[in-house]
Amino acid sequence: MKAKQLYNSTLLLKVIFTISVAVIFFIAAITYKHITTLKESSKWVEQSHEINMELERLMSYIKDAETGQRGYLLTKNEEYLKPYLTSKSLINNSYKRVSKLTSNSLIQKINLKHLLFLINKRHNYLSKTLYLVQTEPNYDHKVLNEYLHVGRLTMDSIRLKIEEMSSTQKKILQNRQLEYESSMNYTPLLIYLTLMVTLVLITIAFIKINRDVVKLSKTVNTLSVANEVSSLAEIVGGFGSWQHNFETNTYTFSDNEYRLLGCEPQSFEASIEEFIKFVHPDDLEYVMENVKNMALLATLPSFTYRVIRKNGEIRHFRTIGRAVKVSSGERTYIGTTSDVTEEIYAKNFIEERNRELESNNKELTAFNYIASHDLQEPLRKIETFLSRLISSDFSTLSKPGQQYVNSIQTSANRMRTLIDDLLQFSRTTKTEKSLEKVDFNLLLENAKVELNQIMETKNAVIESNNLPTLKVIPFQIQQLFINIIGNSLKYSKENTPPIIKINSSKIAANSDKSLPANNHNYYKITFEDNGIGFEQEYATKIFTLFNRLHNKNKYEGTGIGLAICKKIVENHNGFIFSKGVLNEGSMFSIYLPFE
Amino acid sequence: MKAFIKFDFNTACKKILKEKLEECGIKHRILGFGEVEFLEKVSPEKLNLFSKLLDPYGIEIVKNQKTILIQKIKDAIVDMVFNENISVNVKSSVYLSEKLNYSYGHLSTLFSEVTYTSIENFIILQKIEFAKQLIISNELSLTEIAFKLNYSSIAHLSSQFKNSTGMTPSAFQRVIIKRKELINKNNP
Amino acid sequence: MMTEYITIYLADDDADDRLFFTDAFDELKINTKVSTFNDGVDLMNHLNDPDAILPNVLFLDLNMPKKNGLECLLEIKKNEKFNDIAIAIYSTSSTEEHIEETFINGANIYIKKPNDFETLKKILSEVVTINWQYHTSNLNKDNFLMRM
Repeated sequence: MKAKQLYNSTLLLKVIFTISVAVIFFIAAITYKHITTLKESSKWVEQSHEINMELERLMSYIKDAETGQRGYLLTKNEEYLKPYLTSKSLINNSYKRVSKLTSNSLIQKINLKHLLFLINKRHNYLSKTLYLVQTEPNYDHKVLNEYLHVGRLTMDSIRLKIEEMSSTQKKILQNRQLEYESSMNYTPLLIYLTLMVTLVLITIAFIKINRDVVKLSKTVNTLSVANEVSSLAEIVGGFGSWQHNFETNTYTFSDNEYRLLGCEPQSFEASIEEFIKFVHPDDLEYVMENVKNMALLATLPSFTYRVIRKNGEIRHFRTIGRAVKVSSGERTYIGTTSDVTEEIYAKNFIEERNRELESNNKELTAFNYIASHDLQEPLRKIETFLSRLISSDFSTLSKPGQQYVNSIQTSANRMRTLIDDLLQFSRTTKTEKSLEKVDFNLLLENAKVELNQIMETKNAVIESNNLPTLKVIPFQIQQLFINIIGNSLKYSKENTPPIIKINSSKIAANSDKSLPANNHNYYKITFEDNGIGFEQEYATKIFTLFNRLHNKNKYEGTGIGLAICKKIVENHNGFIFSKGVLNEGSMFSIYLPFE
Repeated sequence: MKAFIKFDFNTACKKILKEKLEECGIKHRILGFGEVEFLEKVSPEKLNLFSKLLDPYGIEIVKNQKTILIQKIKDAIVDMVFNENISVNVKSSVYLSEKLNYSYGHLSTLFSEVTYTSIENFIILQKIEFAKQLIISNELSLTEIAFKLNYSSIAHLSSQFKNSTGMTPSAFQRVIIKRKELINKNNP
Repeated sequence: MMTEYITIYLADDDADDRLFFTDAFDELKINTKVSTFNDGVDLMNHLNDPDAILPNVLFLDLNMPKKNGLECLLEIKKNEKFNDIAIAIYSTSSTEEHIEETFINGANIYIKKPNDFETLKKILSEVVTINWQYHTSNLNKDNFLMRM
């Protein structure tokens, strides 16, 4: 995981670059070391060579001294002492040089010390011998032989020492050579290794760069296409976009932003000053207020205003914007300006229509109400005067006269029922009625009391399970109960006591097929009776206003009762359905939504 | 010198009665000549005081047997309805005749004669009154009230309540509650 | 019971209704004195007169010009002087909410004007009788609510 992340990050290139540079320095360092070691090696060889040479010279000088001495001893000629005399200084110099040359080797130093000792000893004996011969004409030959013997031994020692030193120096040189070779041995390996590593790194880098380039070119491609699409979208959608860079205080308008104003794209410098030249003077203050908010808010809520296009046309614009983060870190605001003229006009039109409809509706409702209400007055008078007439003067009327009066009364009654029902219907409007939590069991009880007389006359029985408490318009639901139960009582079978069963149940959202799938829960209340029923084909028709399935002579009624029920149920966003079986009974189901 | 005085006996007495009644703080209505209706229960002490005040004018309170008995019947009925200790199984006719020591028939006839309404109606009136008080006090549910007043079911109570007042007990309750809300709104 | 008359007021702008009303009381055997008024202003002027004899029962029509029944009701309830008057709203059909509103604002009785004369007589008789019961039996007049 980490490796992959590393691979994909731009850090990788930096890392590879750093490693490569390091590798180069490394190689340079190695090369430098190589060269210096080489230099050193040749220096060692030279040095050893010189040491050997010098030791040889030293040996020869000592030999010269010896030879001189020998010559003198043989010839007693002072001429032979010349080399002996010069030899001391020569030996000294030589010794000094060797000493210098071997200063870095402890062993040689020790050897040199010995050598010095031996040389001095030889010299000592040489001089002793000479002194002896020179100063005493009658020297002891034994002593001389002893001196010469020691001298010879010393010489041998010197020779041995010098050989030792020589071979030591050879060894030293050999060691140094070995060292040099061994160190030189791993260098190529290291270089090959570094070479391999570098190659691998370069390959990785190459692959990555390649991929990045491909991706980049793809992105650039997509971006340019997206740009094209967005420009097109602006033209089609009728909006333009803009940017405001706070740091540089510059604006950028898209091409369509200009077109919306009726101008050629980029025809003037994008700025607030230029833009507000187009804003309607009445909306100018409002627009400027909102522009100011850009500096304060992260999201500029949409505001609508008018502009006057170049050609004098008035359009409605809606602008919205928000602050965005850009990679450069400069505070930038982006936004869109849409031409919503059509939308505004449509909205105004709809609002106007709504107002018209509402006022029409109000008029109709008022008319409906007043008509039913005001019709009552004259009807009541008719009925009352008629009743007075009947109670006081009925007997004095002729037979036809009495019949007429009876017919008048019947018609008046009919009209009374109609007007009562119409009034009831007009009262079941929804407006301005408040919802209250009501116990439906209580409503049922009240309905029973209301219908007490008919119930007793027919020996009706009403059974119910526990009904719910819902938030409804109480008087309307009360009326609903009275109407439905009243209906069941009215349309009961002759000589059969009506039995009305009322049941309630909860219906979970979307679980009942008769309801639309709208994710609401409903309470279902059913009213089932054993009355005369009806043909199922009329199941929806019976809810129509003034629709009756029987003529008015057989069953009294106006055909409004169930229409009122439907209206009440609809006021509560519910549903009502009916099911009937002729001569067996009917069932009415109402569905009322609840939270 | 002489002055001829004509006086209206009626008016004079009425004025005295009214004065004294007001002095005793008795709510009243003066009905024609010779009859005063007390509009509230008058304690014997107050009645005494009133009598005493009328004394100097030569005005006397005539104790009408009938009125007293009617009042007793009414009191007994109120007691029967509102008092919990009275056994629920006792029939009202039995209870009244025992308590007042008259036959129920006599009581009934007298009551109707004087008050123009029957004892039964008066009992129902009192029961409904009690029911109203219980509804207003809001301590019992309608079912409990029905039980307390010896109705066989809440339907029976509702039915009689509606017959008497023209509205259901729940409608009555609503009105009372909303009246209280209105008062609270106007006098916070 | 009543050897003295019961004072009854009616405020109704409709002449026919006033006629029905007075005729009904004429035919009833109760000893009553009925006064009628043509509108709310007339009624209130009369009631506010310090010399006026206050009625036992006041029948108020709701739909009257100048000052309607509800306005009169509110005005009357505000004045303590009228606390003993039983107020009966006497009106053509109203919505349930409207009827409830009259009770809430202090009406004692609500009467829906009946369609025939006999019923009217019956209703008026009952109202007056019950009111008298309340009066004489010391019942709480605040609880006096009736609907016919």
